[in-house]
Amino acid sequence: MLELTGFSEVVLSNEIDVFSGSKHESDAAEFETRGVTVFARHP
Amino acid sequence: MAQSAIGVSTVDRDQLRAQISEKYRDVAMDPEMGFHFHNGRPLARMLGYAGEVVETLPWGTVESFAGTGNPFLFGELAVGETVVDVGCGAGFDSLIAARQVGADGQVIAVDMTAGMRDKAAAGAQAMGFGHVEVRDGFAESLPVSDAVADVVISNGVGNLCPDKPAVFREMARVLKPGGRIQIGDILVHKPVPQDARDDIDLWSG
Repeated sequence: MLELTGFSEVVLSNEIDVFSGSKHESDAAEFETRGVTVFARHP
Repeated sequence: MAQSAIGVSTVDRDQLRAQISEKYRDVAMDPEMGFHFHNGRPLARMLGYAGEVVETLPWGTVESFAGTGNPFLFGELAVGETVVDVGCGAGFDSLIAARQVGADGQVIAVDMTAGMRDKAAAGAQAMGFGHVEVRDGFAESLPVSDAVADVVISNGVGNLCPDKPAVFREMARVLKPGGRIQIGDILVHKPVPQDARDDIDLWSG
């Protein structure tokens, strides 16, 4: 999606299980939801 | 409801915004009440923010922090840079950015929730950061001129927006040529059924 909107050099950080231990943990685990940080460059 | 395009949900946008704003008003006003996500100092630790950085921030800013990543994982911002923080919340990342870019830089912090904007502005004042400006606005229609930003930061916001391409187009619009985004968000590795996509309670928690 980022590249479709014109960004390049897309880099993703390691994923983090940010919902672990939270009230949303079961929903997040069901869909394998993870936190991530994204870098991308605008041409 | 049908999924109309890649990254675009047909969930009622205004209803979603109202529920999310209500939820985050609670995060601003009563951060100890407990949410479906982590917040505050434990979350900052989980996301890799340096303790000595967090310690310098006002308590009210830290306790209402909610995010899914760490925009500074890709390196500190440069002195003098102009930053747009999309969905700044209580200003946690805005204040870290403000310290990094210094008084010769600028941070434009945008949020749709009044309680969060008030906290962000109070935090900036407490830190003596006159180069932080807090504005009312949405991620899909930023109250920012074209091509002013060296970097756009954001943290846990895009996943709350039903039209994700619009969010990225706005980020591109406000960036200078060669500018960059450093944003925290979420990845979902399994397909989400349509009934879950259309459930606003699941979006807003």
